[in-house]
Amino acid sequence: MSPKVLLVDDEERFRTTLSKLLKAHGLEVTDLGSGREALEELRKKAYDVIVLDVRMPEMDGIAVLGEIKKINPLLEVIILTGHASMDAATKIMWLGAYEFLLKPCPVEDLLDKIESAYERKTTREAKKREEGD
Amino acid sequence: MSANHERCQKAAEKEMTAQPPNAPRILYPYAPVILLLLAAAPLGFGCGVFWALGALLLAAVSLMTVRRLASETGKGAGQEWLLDEGLLQAQKLAAIGQLSAGVAHEINNPLAIIRQESQWMQTLLKTDHFQGFEEAGELRDSLGVIIQQVDRCKAITHNLLDFARKRQPVIQALAVNRLVEDMARLVDKEAQQKKIQIIKHLAPDLPPIYSDAPQLRQVFLNILNNATYAIQKSGQVTITTRPAGQDFLEIIISDSGPGIAPEDLPRIFDPFFTTKPPGQGTGLGLSICHGIIEKLGGRITVASQAGQGAAFTISLPIKPQDRKL
Repeated sequence: MSPKVLLVDDEERFRTTLSKLLKAHGLEVTDLGSGREALEELRKKAYDVIVLDVRMPEMDGIAVLGEIKKINPLLEVIILTGHASMDAATKIMWLGAYEFLLKPCPVEDLLDKIESAYERKTTREAKKREEGD
Repeated sequence: MSANHERCQKAAEKEMTAQPPNAPRILYPYAPVILLLLAAAPLGFGCGVFWALGALLLAAVSLMTVRRLASETGKGAGQEWLLDEGLLQAQKLAAIGQLSAGVAHEINNPLAIIRQESQWMQTLLKTDHFQGFEEAGELRDSLGVIIQQVDRCKAITHNLLDFARKRQPVIQALAVNRLVEDMARLVDKEAQQKKIQIIKHLAPDLPPIYSDAPQLRQVFLNILNNATYAIQKSGQVTITTRPAGQDFLEIIISDSGPGIAPEDLPRIFDPFFTTKPPGQGTGLGLSICHGIIEKLGGRITVASQAGQGAAFTISLPIKPQDRKL
């Protein structure tokens, strides 16, 4: 079963082409252009991995990440940004992001990270179910 | 006092009281006085000499106050002007750093699009539709070159970001264990994938040190990345923190990798020295780390035997080092 991926980036061309590339590798991908839209979508539909940009108008990726973790702490978030700083990366990792990738990034690297993030999510969900039983 | 000295002093005094180019100027300093006189004139004619004299006195006091104010403002601004000259150079350097970081960040996004579009075209070229297409191979080659060149630009933007980070340290109290844990967390995912275990022996009662957190993070991350790169697959990275006498503490990052060849050890902190294959390392990482630690008043050393891993020891002062900063 392939992971359901939500791709959030305000750069339309980047988002749509990356979406096509990920789909070509067999992933189920939805792409959205803002953090607000992403949060609305996550409240309606279940996803496994979110690929999130940091610098976006209205609501930046760090704020979106915080909200995502409130909606479902088990959702795995991969940050994919062109604007890296050590301080931002540290903050993002402490907020619970799975990975921090800097653009431009080979799609193969992103696919690896999505796959391992998905594995982690399924393992954590299974563990939670066991604890619930 | 020699005539020359006197001339110099007068010139300096003149400079101190001169209006600097960006000092706030009082436009038409006598305007309020003239207005007051104009207002007082009809009063003088209508209500007698007493009122006219009173108005003139008020005008004189106003004139003195305005002149004094103008002089004080000029002096203050002049002194600020001289101080600003000293700060200007530092501001210029900071601006260049910010500009290069800004440029690097802004370029990363279009580069990402170019790379991605090329990869998409490569994907399309693999479909059945293009199988009989004679020039498909040539197109694939061209796209490969575009991707290679994008990666080359990426290395340039990352170097620009490194330049932007070469700044004066900002010293604050910080907990070394927390910094080490932050950076270990950043490399932990990749380490897990390579079956590398990160072991931490962090002394629980270390005092806070006065140092620059972002620069230390950069150093720890660089050495941790080198350690996981050296191991490649299956192994251990051990991070130890401990006090070293009363004034220093040590951070030791060791790995179970193949170690450093004896002939490479003396050159390991040299700029552009790398043991990585071409295209995989710039040879600047450890050189930058060395520079940062020296600037923070500390010391970085390496010990290694071929086949038995490497251990980097970073020694940092607990108190700020005035000499270096």
